[in-house]
Amino acid sequence: MSRVVGQKVKRIDGYEKVTGKAIYGDDIKLPGLLYAAVRYSDIPAGKIIKLKTQKAKNIRGVKAIALHQDVPGSAKVGPIRQDYLPIVKDEVFFTGDVIAVIAAETKEIACQAAEAINIEYKEFEPVTDITEAIKPSSRLVHPEYKSNIMVHYPLVKGDIEAGFAQSDHIIERTYRTGYQEHAYIEPESVTAVPDPSIGGFKIFGSIQNPYTTRKVVAMFMGLKLNQINIMQSTLGGSFGGKDDVVNNMACRAALLAYKAERPVKLTYNRENSMRESYKRHPYLMKYKVGFNKNGKLKSMKIDILAESGAYSSQSFFVTWRSVVQATGPYEIENVKTDIKGVYTNKPYTAAFRGFGSPQIIFAQESLIDEIAEICGISPLDIRKINGYKQGSITASGQRLDQHTVSLNQVMQAAAQKANFAEKYQKLKTANLKNERYKLGIGLSCSFRGCSLGAEGTDTSSAIISVQADGSVILITGVTENGQGLRTTLSQIAAEILGIDINEITFLQPQTSTITDGGPTVASRGTIVGGNATIKAAEEIKKRIFSVIKKDLKTQNISQTIWKDNKVYNKNNTNLSVEFSKAAEKAYFAGINLSAYGWFKAPEVSWHEENGQGNAYFTYVYGCQVVEVKLDTYSGKIFIEKITAAHDVGKVINRLGAEGQVYGGTTQGMGYGVIEDFDVQKGIVKSDNLDQYLIPTIKDIKNIEAVFVENPDKYGPLGAKSLGEPTLELTAAAINNALFMASGKRSYEIPLTLEQVKLDKNLKKPVRQSEASHSKTKLHARLNNITTHTPKNMSEALKLIKNQKYRPLAGGTDLVVQARKSNDKLKLLNIYELPELKEIKISDKEITLGAGITFSNILKNSELQNNFPLLMDACSLIGSTQIRNRATIGGNIVNAAPCADSVPPLIAYGAKLKLTSFTNSRKIELADFIQGSYKTKIQSDELLTEIIIPKLPNTNYFHNYFQLGRRGAVNITRMSISVLILLTRNKKIDDCRIVDGSLFKKPQRITAVEDTLLGQKLSPETIELIESPLSQKIEEEIGGRWSAEYKKPVFINICKDALYEILEKTRQK
Amino acid sequence: MIDLKFTVNQQNIEITVPDSMRLLDILRDELNLTGTKEGCGIGECGACTVIMNGVAVNSCLILAEQCQYSKIETVENLEKDKVLSQLQEAFLKKGAIQCGFCTPGMLMSAKAFLDKNPNPTLDEIKTALEGNLCRCTGYKPIIDSVKLAAKRSEKDKK
Repeated sequence: MSRVVGQKVKRIDGYEKVTGKAIYGDDIKLPGLLYAAVRYSDIPAGKIIKLKTQKAKNIRGVKAIALHQDVPGSAKVGPIRQDYLPIVKDEVFFTGDVIAVIAAETKEIACQAAEAINIEYKEFEPVTDITEAIKPSSRLVHPEYKSNIMVHYPLVKGDIEAGFAQSDHIIERTYRTGYQEHAYIEPESVTAVPDPSIGGFKIFGSIQNPYTTRKVVAMFMGLKLNQINIMQSTLGGSFGGKDDVVNNMACRAALLAYKAERPVKLTYNRENSMRESYKRHPYLMKYKVGFNKNGKLKSMKIDILAESGAYSSQSFFVTWRSVVQATGPYEIENVKTDIKGVYTNKPYTAAFRGFGSPQIIFAQESLIDEIAEICGISPLDIRKINGYKQGSITASGQRLDQHTVSLNQVMQAAAQKANFAEKYQKLKTANLKNERYKLGIGLSCSFRGCSLGAEGTDTSSAIISVQADGSVILITGVTENGQGLRTTLSQIAAEILGIDINEITFLQPQTSTITDGGPTVASRGTIVGGNATIKAAEEIKKRIFSVIKKDLKTQNISQTIWKDNKVYNKNNTNLSVEFSKAAEKAYFAGINLSAYGWFKAPEVSWHEENGQGNAYFTYVYGCQVVEVKLDTYSGKIFIEKITAAHDVGKVINRLGAEGQVYGGTTQGMGYGVIEDFDVQKGIVKSDNLDQYLIPTIKDIKNIEAVFVENPDKYGPLGAKSLGEPTLELTAAAINNALFMASGKRSYEIPLTLEQVKLDKNLKKPVRQSEASHSKTKLHARLNNITTHTPKNMSEALKLIKNQKYRPLAGGTDLVVQARKSNDKLKLLNIYELPELKEIKISDKEITLGAGITFSNILKNSELQNNFPLLMDACSLIGSTQIRNRATIGGNIVNAAPCADSVPPLIAYGAKLKLTSFTNSRKIELADFIQGSYKTKIQSDELLTEIIIPKLPNTNYFHNYFQLGRRGAVNITRMSISVLILLTRNKKIDDCRIVDGSLFKKPQRITAVEDTLLGQKLSPETIELIESPLSQKIEEEIGGRWSAEYKKPVFINICKDALYEILEKTRQK
Repeated sequence: MIDLKFTVNQQNIEITVPDSMRLLDILRDELNLTGTKEGCGIGECGACTVIMNGVAVNSCLILAEQCQYSKIETVENLEKDKVLSQLQEAFLKKGAIQCGFCTPGMLMSAKAFLDKNPNPTLDEIKTALEGNLCRCTGYKPIIDSVKLAAKRSEKDKK
């Protein structure tokens, strides 16, 4: 049929996005705009005893401060249970709670005022563990609800005890998943503008669900819905994340705008966002399953605790989806599931792409693989035996007969594309070899209910308005969140109207122009928005047809074809009217060319008491295969390939659909492996993207998208859902692949280095006193800096002699530190001093100016030839942008334990030249660095030169290995630098081994060097280092929290570095 | 306060700004070039990437003082006479954009790279873009776009 549907169509909002013209939340500027900042709680739990704002009020430029008592409407908001206070009263429940909000002439003044507010607390011991929280002895997070269990959904099908009695095997397993942060690249921003013409406010910003925002703000401000008009800005990513948090920000901005009678913008920096925004729920899941020898599942008992954090938010809905889907796509006669949401004093949890499914899929798909293992059958066969087929009955008693049940089809599609069966057999034997790197392949399957299901009212709206020249405006109640919905829905409208997609303008909806179309969540955008769009388009066609009947010589619209911007008589295509002419004719005939499309989802049902009912009107099925490589020494997982097969009903935009798969699986990989949101005693430790790592461009080698199409009778042109299924499967498939590689099953994600290696998520312990009373500033920003650029070196040295300057070179460390520091900083910009940019080459040594950037070091052929070990290390520092600015001198003087250039420089025996106004001196680098961020530099000295002696000859072997948590831009967890010279008969003549990020300061490991010197380089010799190295590590860091991981890993990577050199000597 | 002289997208700029201001703030707040985005403020995400004296840098880490006499290029400089650059076209064609917030930084990293490496390998492309985080696309379409743009510019030269 189609011309646009199913094709690769460029996004219609692409132009503004590649030119920088798209307007995102923080890009909004208005006359008289004030800037807002929030005052966060300093502690995770406690009563506010004193709250003093006078000092803040007195700051010049502060225009309004709003506290709890200023709220005109309902102070408590929330989608189901109103337990959230956008501005708290006299108690705080987590560190993202807001006690006061300030609007000022500049952002800086607003931040200063926020910091000037004085608060005293009576601290409570925070509730931080869900298993403790459900005990009767636990303090109640919200005493008014009488329990820390905020929701409980039961589900009962059949009789589990009878099922267990009939089982050959019964196993019980416990699974854990962590928080996941959305980490949309755009932090949140909302602007509220007083609008007297509607007696309320216009609100712009990074808003995912405008109608929800409207409802919440109206409630908070005590206004009617028609007094708030929400206009979504271009959204810089959401993934479910810009709902509640942005609604609450909108409340605060509106209140400030009301008080100040001026427009107010509240933009978050990343630290604010990480602290306050909600996350994906951590789950603790206990599965007890009974099955027969042949793998047939007989009975399943599931008990889940979902961490809701400080507030209930969407936990009611998230846990409900979990209860429906907790068994996975497997037909089991006897099921009992209980899921409970639990309050704690930690960041609250709510919607995140997947919405309660990635957790349970991780558990159930790990479990089903383990059952296959026990029964001695393949992962594919176990799923075929138990998987849903046409007419199967789900755990909630729903018969799957209203759509194509394609579980087996997607599984076959993924398995074939990835060549699963063959690789699975091959790798099983390959991994028996005792090698450092092992390979694994694993798969996971799911079924997923489309749209909201029985959790909510499921309707949506669209307006199609045809202009007199035939151009078309489309407005829908669902929104563009970056996923490409504008393009998809425009394609659908173009398809139905038979016109070019360029004839359609999609208007970002305003809540005041179109009826509430429900939220853009639950992968429902295409399915409900598309249906509403089709209804509106069909209505328009009827009306237009009424004026062109005569021209087409037919009385029946079913006898027409609408394509190529024309309307044809189906039986005689010589009879046609241009769409634009038809529109013009209808216009002059006084026909209403604006039509409303309304879609109400088919009936669904749910019984709260036993968890039975037709939960969703249709389902989608997916299967992903993941291939991994595991570094068994460090526990690091490399993702070689992801093959994702999804039944989407019908692909509307192939480009957009592929994009969903690539992006979703990448987030799923992050969830399973890298993303480790750290909250210690209620304090968020992962406060920016250097602490909370997400996948980079180097973390997945290849992704393949496979689409299965079984058009759905309820879907627009047959289309269903895709956004969430792509994410939910990946972590589970990785875990199954990891099992094949390691032979050890993990029951917890993320699969961090420590989780894989030690079977626990090792973290730096935090003392409560340390946790609550941080010295860093409340709002990270640059605000207390003065800078000066000296004319020449002499002036620079004079200045640092007489005044307290800190030298500023590339700034890649210093500016980051300054952002958090309360100290006033006087910076001397030495970056451009020509003396610091020189490279001097002599026979014996190369002298580098301290101000040379890593990019320039890497480009220099003399350095490449002489110091390859240094090159290897420098190429892994930060990112391209960082290497373009960061200088070698800065790296040394900053003396971070993870400074990558230092260990190789120590191996080469580098010396430093320190210069003051009156003097200069040379010092060994190994002696210069005293410990973490500690050096022997004097306040009047500059590091001016790094002198690196050339090696006595060019026969040295080198090896550098850096261990990081992800594929690029790492904070080095550990590194090893090795230089070795062999005599003609392969005896070790010179040997320099330096650690990175292991000991108190990087150093040559003489205990190891002494063991090696004079020996022949051989496996036997290499094994000899274990004992002295082990002893040295024990002495240096034995008592530290990280030693448990670092000790065995470092010994292994050190040995392996030597083995690699041995291999090179054999090749030579 | 600092009196700055520098060029942005071939325009000579003379401006007085506070010492604590970053290049990112100067572009967005003083020059109204809001195409450059702030994602993290600590040089981790690359959304603020601009080209400074020919190389890609994080504008959130560059203090005003360090902009003196420099040559800056931002995303607003890519489209010439209402015609998109080949790199921009390639981003559209390959679906390298979803939410678009990382796109300006991604484009500037890619441009700085392709200007000097017109015939890149896959690994070189990945290294050039390793400092730009994208949360939507899984990077694959972005890599494809840079490959395509490289191919096209090679063709033009022939």
